[in-house]
Amino acid sequence: MFSEQAAQRAHTLLSPPSTNNATFARVPVSSYTNSSQPFRLGERSFSRQYAHIYATRLLQMRPFLVSRAKQRWGGGVQVKKLCELQPGEKCCVVGTLFKAMPLQPSILREISEEHNLLPQPPRSKYIHPDDELVLEDELQRIRLEGDVDASRLVTGTVLAVLGSARDSGKFVVEDHCFAELAPQKPAPPLDTDRFVLLVSGLGLGGGGGESLLGTQLLVDVVTGQLGDEGEQCSAAHVSRVILAGNLLSHNTQSRDSINKAKYLTKKTQAASVEAVRMLDEILLQLSASVPVDVMPGEFDPTNYTLPQQPLHPCMFPLATAYSTLQLVTNPYQATIDGVRFLGTSGQNVSDIFRYSSMEDHLEILEWTLRVRHISPTAPDTLGCYPFYKTDPFIFLECPHVYFCGNTPEFGSKIFRGPEDQRVLLVAVPDFSTTQTACLVNLRSLACQPISFSGFGAEDEDLGGLGLGP
Amino acid sequence: MADQLYLENIDEFVTDQNKIVTYKWLSYTLGVHVNQAKQMLYDYVERKRKENSGAQLHVTYLVSGSLIQNGHSCHKVAVVREDKLEAVKSKLAVTASIHVYSIQKAMLKDSGPLFNTDYDILKSNLQNCSKFSAIHCAAAVPRASVESSSSEKFEQSNLQVSSETPANNELTTNGHSPPTSKQIFQQPKGIMGMFASKAASKTQDANKETKTETKEVTNVSSTGNKAPGKGNVMSNFFGKAAMNKLKVNLDSEQAVKEEKIVEQPPVSVTEPKLAAPTGLKKSSKKAEPVKMQQKEKKRGKRVELSDDETKETENMKKKRRRIKLPESDSSEDEVIPDSPGDYEAESPSPPPPSPPPEPVPKTEPEPPSVKSSSGEKRKRKRVLKSKTFVDEEGCIVTEKVYESESCTDSEEELKMKNSSIHRPSTMTVKKEPKEERKGPKKGTAALGKANRQVSITGFFQRK
Repeated sequence: MFSEQAAQRAHTLLSPPSTNNATFARVPVSSYTNSSQPFRLGERSFSRQYAHIYATRLLQMRPFLVSRAKQRWGGGVQVKKLCELQPGEKCCVVGTLFKAMPLQPSILREISEEHNLLPQPPRSKYIHPDDELVLEDELQRIRLEGDVDASRLVTGTVLAVLGSARDSGKFVVEDHCFAELAPQKPAPPLDTDRFVLLVSGLGLGGGGGESLLGTQLLVDVVTGQLGDEGEQCSAAHVSRVILAGNLLSHNTQSRDSINKAKYLTKKTQAASVEAVRMLDEILLQLSASVPVDVMPGEFDPTNYTLPQQPLHPCMFPLATAYSTLQLVTNPYQATIDGVRFLGTSGQNVSDIFRYSSMEDHLEILEWTLRVRHISPTAPDTLGCYPFYKTDPFIFLECPHVYFCGNTPEFGSKIFRGPEDQRVLLVAVPDFSTTQTACLVNLRSLACQPISFSGFGAEDEDLGGLGLGP
Repeated sequence: MADQLYLENIDEFVTDQNKIVTYKWLSYTLGVHVNQAKQMLYDYVERKRKENSGAQLHVTYLVSGSLIQNGHSCHKVAVVREDKLEAVKSKLAVTASIHVYSIQKAMLKDSGPLFNTDYDILKSNLQNCSKFSAIHCAAAVPRASVESSSSEKFEQSNLQVSSETPANNELTTNGHSPPTSKQIFQQPKGIMGMFASKAASKTQDANKETKTETKEVTNVSSTGNKAPGKGNVMSNFFGKAAMNKLKVNLDSEQAVKEEKIVEQPPVSVTEPKLAAPTGLKKSSKKAEPVKMQQKEKKRGKRVELSDDETKETENMKKKRRRIKLPESDSSEDEVIPDSPGDYEAESPSPPPPSPPPEPVPKTEPEPPSVKSSSGEKRKRKRVLKSKTFVDEEGCIVTEKVYESESCTDSEEELKMKNSSIHRPSTMTVKKEPKEERKGPKKGTAALGKANRQVSITGFFQRK
């Protein structure tokens, strides 16, 4: 791990100065390919309806599900469409799930005058025991009952259910299965330790100064200024830094100036301007020393719908001078030194969190991997571009490292698939609150959190450092 | 002894200047490797404590290492006060590094001031932020300026335009308008002074300009770190007045699309130039000063930045001119005041009222096209006038012709009007296409002028 490797060299800095100070060369990029092309949008037209994305999703997922169903319930199971269902006959149906949630915010209900409803306050979860599941395929839909847990599932999931239809018009489920993991190409073995640093939620412009020192310490560690020679040597093995979204804070999004009178807001500047300037300086420091990939997030100045397009280089005049800076999409997919990375800035996971009973972000991340879809709730509750030819959020190939940003706390797990796939799941925590980033070791596919702290007046018992009892 | 110098330096910083000396600050100030700076700090602390055990020195350390937390081994990096150092060390399972982070005279309540110190020194050293660091990345090479596409620059220039134009609505002769200083990229403080005085200078020197042009071309090819340094040297050598042109020319050399016009010799303000799309020129003029402003700062992005700078000076020097003479290039601005083409560069607005009338008579013998363009740019109005003349058959012909009329109330307007009327009718044919082009410019010129009252008699304008 990073720490052990760093501790191997002798401590030299608590001593009188010596003129020969070691300088380490950053590990060169042995191979990098950016495979986010499916997430780049060219000409965008929003005149299409969203039904097409569901249709293509089902079309693409159907073969995967049929093969999984056959594996699970035997080759003899009958896979039928809803229109072919006979009552009482046991068969398997493949379709898209729809969860009818009474608490789901509906703009039509809000503005409807006959209901006279007040706008619903935002809740952390919109699930309710009365949620109902409906399975839809190309032509029909049918209510689901039985051995299927509505609270864990969300709209947009494509699955296969085994059961039989009743005369009442409902389908009683005995078992269900997901598409599970996609096939995975094995990663070539590496001979030296190489690290990729995953950070998310820098939250610049947020007004809170505590995280700024942490951010500076992070940059200093990666650029080799901080630490002893051992640590600097290990830091030189960080081959890439991925900033997974929310570089700007939620506070920069405030649009108070719209509500205020013009004469009060004449000379005010949007908060994001200052924040982007700070971000540019940080990116300059980083890109002068290490290849950086910058993914936009929920509060960043780019489009709202998924897939978010890269931030515009004009915002970073200092940093774009270096070719090591790469502005990429959200979700982001790349092969770094032979290891496939795929990740998002966390909007997909937090949206599923709101509409299902799953509590742990890492658990949700694993669930999306098993469902073989990055964000099944798009476009229902998560903004999405109206695709019609293909659904780019389906996993065609299983990554080696699958991460999501801006989770409340760090989490990491190795997940094994049915065909011996091995995936490292990383829940990258929000840096502005946790001051923690993640170091992924590409050789061993392990992840170590790295956290930073300063000291404050109240840290009498080392509580702030997380070293308390 | 040379190695004792640093001890004295640190002593001076800490005790006399009461500064917070962090390793990074010391590294940049003394120009040494970060590790050496850390060792220097440690050495200083040790010696000072040995000499004078009552020394009022507060030291913060950086401790890093691993710790088992929640089932996984977490790497911790922490800045701690000296009194907490041992406690933190004992908690760590593996200690990776300990070194002095900072020395200061007063006890720090929290780590905020440490960040501020580091931030300040970083701001003034943004361009070589990894110079003294222990890791060097071979791949991190600033992009050469010529590689950046012109469309990218244009895009940026457009963005700059939109941010610049509201800022420059009010006349500023003595410095930047404040919003421009709030550009996304900052300027080193040393350069600000130079920019502030740039706007005021109006003297031009064409000879110097051509010389510096060639010099700047060679400078352009040099890598990032050197250019601003050289720019500074150049500025010291040539003085502030020439700096404007220096930058203008530097940027004009580099820019691809917009500055093509600029590169032409200043005196040849001819029809072909006028024929170029006025909108493009306008934006190029706007683009230059803004980019100019950032030029000094960002070596890597020299092109776009330099363009902004030229635009900045352009705007400051002759914001009014821009509206009036949109197609005159930046190079024209550097023309000697008494040269014909410079008439266009002079502004007719109140602050320098005298120079404009003077060049006006000189411009009269100029080719009509120049005159017409210059006269027309100054608050033109397209007025349908009927012209009466005697044609070849001896008949008196009255023609309705769109003529551009200057509606300034200064003398040159009279002269210009007279000259325009005296212009032979054959010129009307040639004038038409020019006037068509001038149409949009006139509109904006009129608009620009209309908002501002030139003098008390501005109300009573000659139609």
